[in-house]
Amino acid sequence: MAIINSEELLRGGMDRAVELMAVAASTALKFGKPKIKIVAMGPEEFQELSDFCAGLAEVSPLFDRDGRSFVDLAAEDARALLIGAKRKSVYNYDCGACGYRTCEELNKAETTESVVINGPCCHFVVYDVHMAASAAAAAAWRMGLHCRVFQTIGGAAAGCGLVEDVDFSIGVGVSYQPQNPFFDRRKYWSEEEWAEKFAAEFPSFTRGFMGAVE
Amino acid sequence: MERKLREYEERRLESVKLATQLLFASAVTSPRVGGIDEISIHCLETRDEIEDLAIAIDKMADDNPSWDFFRSDAVQVRDADAVLIMADRRSGHDPMDSSCNLCGYMLCDEWRKAPRMPDEPSVAFRGPFCLLRSMNLAYALNGAVSLARELGIDHAIKMSVGAAAIRMDLVPYKCGIALGFLASVTEKNPFRDLPKRWAEYNNETLQNRLIHRLFPTFRSIYS
Repeated sequence: MAIINSEELLRGGMDRAVELMAVAASTALKFGKPKIKIVAMGPEEFQELSDFCAGLAEVSPLFDRDGRSFVDLAAEDARALLIGAKRKSVYNYDCGACGYRTCEELNKAETTESVVINGPCCHFVVYDVHMAASAAAAAAWRMGLHCRVFQTIGGAAAGCGLVEDVDFSIGVGVSYQPQNPFFDRRKYWSEEEWAEKFAAEFPSFTRGFMGAVE
Repeated sequence: MERKLREYEERRLESVKLATQLLFASAVTSPRVGGIDEISIHCLETRDEIEDLAIAIDKMADDNPSWDFFRSDAVQVRDADAVLIMADRRSGHDPMDSSCNLCGYMLCDEWRKAPRMPDEPSVAFRGPFCLLRSMNLAYALNGAVSLARELGIDHAIKMSVGAAAIRMDLVPYKCGIALGFLASVTEKNPFRDLPKRWAEYNNETLQNRLIHRLFPTFRSIYS
């Protein structure tokens, strides 16, 4: 057998793993039969998402942080599975959770369009998509990949048009790097930046005495 | 009952308790949006508790013309050995404040002012709820499903269980939405291969009709 170098092995493994994650997402337990769209994206798209997130950095610290990390993910050959669906109900539960009395009323309601998500969505469609995402993450975890479910990947991917014909989507990021790139990402904030944000969010943390005059 | 068979039955019920605890742990440790705690999980393990829930679900079938499937759900709940109820205690009144538009309101402040569904029998969950929060229910459910698949335990997820649990106050106060997970440790999966009219033709009704009603008459006449 010919020698296969580690780069080729890891990439091949990653390709197969993403395919198997899609299988796990497709066969995940669901409440009904919504039309779920599953697509995979690679490093080039992470770069695109990073640019999109940079545009939202001013309004959302979440997009700010993830946008910064996507640049590194693009360099590290990370992938993501995108799972999305249309907002309408296919269940006929008439449960009221969406704020409409019947599923028919929800389906006829006017769609409110925003950059990343169109509402109002049926709760059970969202549950099915997110159970699929969770199942894909569980499959990735069993295969030994680092993974994390990202609202930002799903939102930005919809904003960039990477998943077509869906009203909302979610992303499951995976990586085969020796170190997990999805957690403990403090390197994206300088110490001063962190101290400044903390002081702004929790001003009373360092206060010594209730009622003290500063 | 033969001693060995009784031992088998007792051990089966012990295994259900152990499995339920593991499923509970998997559901608790599944991911949460923003890492915020808001799901509470409640176990029904005794026959009485499960039977009460089944009766409540059966009664609810009359409350809404779309809820005919509640009758079959009630039979499935009765066949389950354990029931996990996942409840979300924030999504009804404490939105994520990220203005994500999943609920159809562009701003969370608009959602706060939106009218809620009335407290009527035909309404299961008094929405609208914050979807970015209540999607944690999906993660909790899949936490249990994922492990149940691994352990080989038959399982099902039910909206009707959550709806009845809220009416029965089995979940914390102010929980607006809940969903149910049924687990069964039996040789035949009680949640699959169900005839269309399962509420009428199930193990219990066949037992009642054939063994308790028809056979005694047959015996009286022909013996």
